[in-house]
Amino acid sequence: MKKKTLLLMYMLVSVVWVYAQTKIVTGKVQDENGALLGNVSVQVKGTKLGTVSSVDGTFSLSVPATAKTLIFSLLNYETAELAITATPITVKLTTVTNNLSDVVVVAYGTTKKPEITGSMGVIKAKDIENKPFTSVDRALQGAVAGLQSVASSGTPGAAQQIRIRGIGSINASSEPLWILDGVVINTGDASRLTTTANLLSTLNPNDIESITVLKDASASSLYGSRAANGVILVTTKKGKSGKTKFRFDTEVGYSDIAYFNDDYRPLKASEYFELTREGLVNAGATPAVVTATLANLGSGNNVDYDWLKAVTKKGTQRQYNLGASGGNDRTTYNLSAGYFRQEGITLQSDFERWNGNMSIVSKATDRLTISTTLNAGYVQQNAPLAGGSFGNPILSSYFLLPSRAARNADGSLNITAPDFGPGNLHNTIATAEMDKRFLKQLSARGAFTAEYKILENLKFTSRYGMDYNVLEEEQYNNPFHGDGQSVGGRAFVFYTRLFNYTWTNLLDYKLSFGKAKDFSTNIQVGYEAQDSKTLTSNISATGFPATTQLTFPVVAATPTQASATGSDFSFLSAFSSASINYKNKYVLSGSFRRDGSSRFGTNNRYGNFWSIGGSWNIDQESFMKDVRLISQLKLRASYGVNGNAGIGNYDWQPTYSFGSNYNQQPGSAPNNIGNVFLTWEINKPFNVGLDVSLMSNKVTLTADYYIRRTSSLLLDAPLSRTSGFSTLRDNIGSMENKGFEISLNFSPVATKNFQWSVNLNYATNRNKILSLVNNQDIITGIFLRRVGQDFQSFYAPRWAGVDAANGDPLWYKTVTGKETTNNFNDAQRAILGSASPRFFGSITNSLRYKGFSLEAQVYFSGGNLMQDAWAAFYMGSGNGPTFNKVLRQFTDRWKAPGDNKATLPKYVYGGNKLAQNPSDLYLYKGDYGRIRDLTLSYQLPELLATKMKLNSAVFYVRGTNLFTIVRDKKLPWDPEQGVASQTNLNVFIPKTITVGINIGF
Amino acid sequence: MKMKYYFIGCLVFLMSCSKDYLEKKPYNALPIEDALKSEADILVALRGAYASLRNVDLYGRTIPVLGDLMADVTYQSLSNSNRYTFYNQYATPVVDGNALGLWTAGYQTILRVNNIIASSVDGTANARQYKGEAHAIRALVYFELVRFFAKPYTDDPSGLGVPIITTFNITVKPKRNTVAEVYALILDDLSKAYSLITQTTNSSQFSKYAAKALEAKVHLFKADMANARTAALDVITNGGYTLVGANNYVTYWQNPAPLSNKLETLFEVSSDGVANLGFDALGYIYSQNGYGDMICASDLYTQYAATDVRRSLLTQGIRSGPAVFVNKYTNIITDRDDTKVLRLSDIYLIAAEASLASNESDARNYLNAVATRRDPSFIGFTSSGATLLEDILTERRKELAFEGHRFHDLNRLKRTINRSTDYPASARTIPYPFNRRLLPIPQAEMDANPNMVQNQGY
Repeated sequence: MKKKTLLLMYMLVSVVWVYAQTKIVTGKVQDENGALLGNVSVQVKGTKLGTVSSVDGTFSLSVPATAKTLIFSLLNYETAELAITATPITVKLTTVTNNLSDVVVVAYGTTKKPEITGSMGVIKAKDIENKPFTSVDRALQGAVAGLQSVASSGTPGAAQQIRIRGIGSINASSEPLWILDGVVINTGDASRLTTTANLLSTLNPNDIESITVLKDASASSLYGSRAANGVILVTTKKGKSGKTKFRFDTEVGYSDIAYFNDDYRPLKASEYFELTREGLVNAGATPAVVTATLANLGSGNNVDYDWLKAVTKKGTQRQYNLGASGGNDRTTYNLSAGYFRQEGITLQSDFERWNGNMSIVSKATDRLTISTTLNAGYVQQNAPLAGGSFGNPILSSYFLLPSRAARNADGSLNITAPDFGPGNLHNTIATAEMDKRFLKQLSARGAFTAEYKILENLKFTSRYGMDYNVLEEEQYNNPFHGDGQSVGGRAFVFYTRLFNYTWTNLLDYKLSFGKAKDFSTNIQVGYEAQDSKTLTSNISATGFPATTQLTFPVVAATPTQASATGSDFSFLSAFSSASINYKNKYVLSGSFRRDGSSRFGTNNRYGNFWSIGGSWNIDQESFMKDVRLISQLKLRASYGVNGNAGIGNYDWQPTYSFGSNYNQQPGSAPNNIGNVFLTWEINKPFNVGLDVSLMSNKVTLTADYYIRRTSSLLLDAPLSRTSGFSTLRDNIGSMENKGFEISLNFSPVATKNFQWSVNLNYATNRNKILSLVNNQDIITGIFLRRVGQDFQSFYAPRWAGVDAANGDPLWYKTVTGKETTNNFNDAQRAILGSASPRFFGSITNSLRYKGFSLEAQVYFSGGNLMQDAWAAFYMGSGNGPTFNKVLRQFTDRWKAPGDNKATLPKYVYGGNKLAQNPSDLYLYKGDYGRIRDLTLSYQLPELLATKMKLNSAVFYVRGTNLFTIVRDKKLPWDPEQGVASQTNLNVFIPKTITVGINIGF
Repeated sequence: MKMKYYFIGCLVFLMSCSKDYLEKKPYNALPIEDALKSEADILVALRGAYASLRNVDLYGRTIPVLGDLMADVTYQSLSNSNRYTFYNQYATPVVDGNALGLWTAGYQTILRVNNIIASSVDGTANARQYKGEAHAIRALVYFELVRFFAKPYTDDPSGLGVPIITTFNITVKPKRNTVAEVYALILDDLSKAYSLITQTTNSSQFSKYAAKALEAKVHLFKADMANARTAALDVITNGGYTLVGANNYVTYWQNPAPLSNKLETLFEVSSDGVANLGFDALGYIYSQNGYGDMICASDLYTQYAATDVRRSLLTQGIRSGPAVFVNKYTNIITDRDDTKVLRLSDIYLIAAEASLASNESDARNYLNAVATRRDPSFIGFTSSGATLLEDILTERRKELAFEGHRFHDLNRLKRTINRSTDYPASARTIPYPFNRRLLPIPQAEMDANPNMVQNQGY
């Protein structure tokens, strides 16, 4: 008993003693503008004692009497340490944007901003998340100066084209290299039956933490023979230690046609028949023939069917994403899952994605860190036909006569003659119901990484990454109507598998030396092996039972395809990079990579690629210390050599191929001359840049000027055909892209309650072909490739208008002269302009008032021409007379002698003197501006959120592609028509309105 | 610590050892040096050479179509798919795709057979057979090239022919050999073929007598009637082939498959249900269920007697006005029609023409052997001299119509082509000589080969 009492007393005393040893510290945390900051971690240095500031920025913490220093930290703010002197304490935290300690993901690692010598653009998660885009490449539009991201189709899941600093190749790929968490991944469209698809659509943009776009030699040359078109580094989200944080994001919305020009709506029945009657008379048809022809076309049948309305609809859009992240001081994780569904705005166009993402990082020992990331996504996509396919719903909506209805009076589908007999355009309402076109795409991308600290400053990393994509494509064309009719129904099942692994081993050494450790250096040495294997198999069959319910080849009578093949390539690389930094003032960096690839001819199997870059951080100079206005001033320059290995896997190999079969027995033939010297295309980028920050980062500016020359371009040198071959693929041509890029951020207003910031990026590019095979012109469709000219020069006769006297089409006879001719074949072709924009960029305004914020991004692009490649039919002055026409054909046609207002010739049934042939009548100025993103959001006050047991809650309404303004009022189609700016009767680019909630708990 | 460095060093260099890592082989092809190593390889390559003859601009379509369209046998319907329009109009430009295709595919085929002939595989009966067939194919292709791109031997043997290529060299920029040199090569190849070939596979591959039949034809085109007669009679007497008669004429043409019974066909280029040209196949441009562009000239149609079995393959119909449709090639789905290249009836008519100077009675007999088989109610020609020649030539026009012979016959005879009013008004009388009776050397060849000389008028 005594003992117990004693113990209790002792404890009491000690508590009092302990109590006596603590004190209470209070204070408040502000940002650099004086706005109060909540949620700031306040910690006693050297202990685990700490708290978090409340919403009003205040904190209160009892600390040991011995405590001397408090540490204040908050994400995106500079961590501050403050001595505990008197309480209350007032702390100001500064944002880390553009700050010295800001870490950027670069080739094979990360680096701090002052050490960067190259040109790169960084995109953060918030600019990618919760957008109504099926793939992340769509979100890159307008995000980085000099990166052109263009769609050609509004089909959900469609391919997107990306060009960084112009087009650098003629026959090899012009797409950038994508690296996901350090692993080379397959991108682009791997489908073979689907109109358009995108491997990146299996990746959920919400799983991405940041994207770095490497643009110049210094930034990208470490990727050697694949860096020429730029490199896009994608980093997925990783966990942070601490209490598990959940996050739930969801949105719903709908989409509609983003741009529609009413001058180009398809004609109504009365308009079409008025026009056709006139066309027949103009063609010299007798009254009897006129009557008979019109009757044949359905005149007077009282049908006026709106095909455009029938094939288009409002598409719905929704997505759900759930994530959890957390961990302890040894292991962190991030897990997420998502569902995304988007309907296109035409029939037969929809997209669904299920995906999961996992990232685990564990410190196995003090020296060894192991981590794994796994990202898997499954997409099911339905893409309608495009272009001239009879089953293309957009084609049918412009070409099918309004006198043909999709359904008979009894409601059944109209699929028989005279309206829809064999050989006619298809009733796409019927084929949409009876045919099937599916793409099922599964991707799994993952990496296992081990990082071993040999010494504090010497690190070894080994990473094995995989990229596995499977595409199953199913197509069924019913035996009753459409593409399958002539063969009694047909079906295809195509399988495509791409497997690609990359194994990287890397030593990273950091050292500071010199008197006061003034010099610091970072040296990397690495070795990388990549192997990619593709397998494809095709099955198809014809002769289906008379039902639309059985759609697989198993029920078909005649197998027509049963074949499989593959295509592989590999790379072996050794590389090294080194940088040396003197007091953060002067930085010199260099890289070297030696690449070998199975794609390169045996006589040129290995290539060396390098770069050198330097930067001068003028702001670090002592003479700048007193210049308060300037917080950063930096000059950068770089030069180097990298390559484009986007060439055929087997192009160099002299081979005999099999498949020249005779009497169904195998036959062989020489199919490829081969060229043992064939190799990568060479790219030599030069870049100078300037980074400036003014007034505590209120204004930041980055400007770059670049010239990149590509040479050894793969071209086909003509051979005497008596050799048995037509051309020899060789490294011959050269091309130049040069331009100017600018990114500007500034905050006109930044008060406690109201903040306004503006971000502008702008880029120009000029492309010029420097040499070709024997410097001979190459004409590819309407494009002319000529030395000294832009790669995408439109080449066609100049349109001279309409002869007011007789309605004839007129063209200028010569390239510059004024003399006109009504004979198309007498008109010389002229270079009319380029399909590539001369400038493009975006302006983003962000306004925040208390919990409300409004963000508006306008994307603009211009200086290019766009070709309406199908106008020959719906605006060809009578060409294709049995197809419907557009309103402009009706309103703008020449009507009578002396009609000098008409912009289109006399309408003649069957065509008027080749008026439908390409000329600049069908080219339009491509300049446009578009509200790419308009988001209004409201963040729940923290107090309220806490009451609801939430960490945060945001509600938003977002419009994508909401308004489009075009320079050319006659522009018939959406100005976004792929890199080549040619329309192809694709699904309309959508505008989308969504409402959503993001909750953290 | 040292162990760790060692371990890492090993890891880094582990993969640098594997040299094979960068070796990737295509799935559908072999390195050239591995492709022609054995007798079996040569057989496979030989099939590839035959398959090459199926090219759309060789026997697949262009050769048989032009041989009639450029003459007075078929014309292009006003309603058409815009194929061969320039030939209908005698306005072929130097950039014409069919002339380019014929030239390109011709030399592609020559490369395929050159590689077979040059192969070191030799000595066995099979190897000799395959090489013999390769020689025959080479002769056939040169014969077509020299007839389309050069003046007839009968006009100017020393005129510009086509380049002779017998070995593979991608940097070659050859001059044109003379017509006589090309004919010499052809006859040399055919004599080798005749001596090397011992087996008859079926009508889709060259046999000994198919090679001899081609030789007869080559002599005829040299107007070397004595040799033409000798060769033709060798085929007729020793070949073991039989003429098709009136009773089996229609089924003969309906059959899309090669024959092994030595009925009529000496050599044809095979198309089957898998390897065929689809919409580009020969039948499709004749069939009214296909493009149906090529229509029988009205003056030719009237030459067939009502009792002539050949008339049963022609039907009168309407297509931009009255038209005579050709039903010689009706297999436009699944197994497509083969293209007949050498038929026994052709050899009989060659024998007739070649016997004219030496033995008129023989000439009449060979002519009537064909003519009376087509029209059972016809008692036979009794003409002689110049009339007999005209009768033979008319029978050639009727018997070999839609098989691409007439144009070359009129060229070797240096005759004016008198086309019916079905043809464009601007191209109804084509005199001899006339520049556009030769195809243009393709512009692509002119551009790539400074030693090439263009035909006159282009």
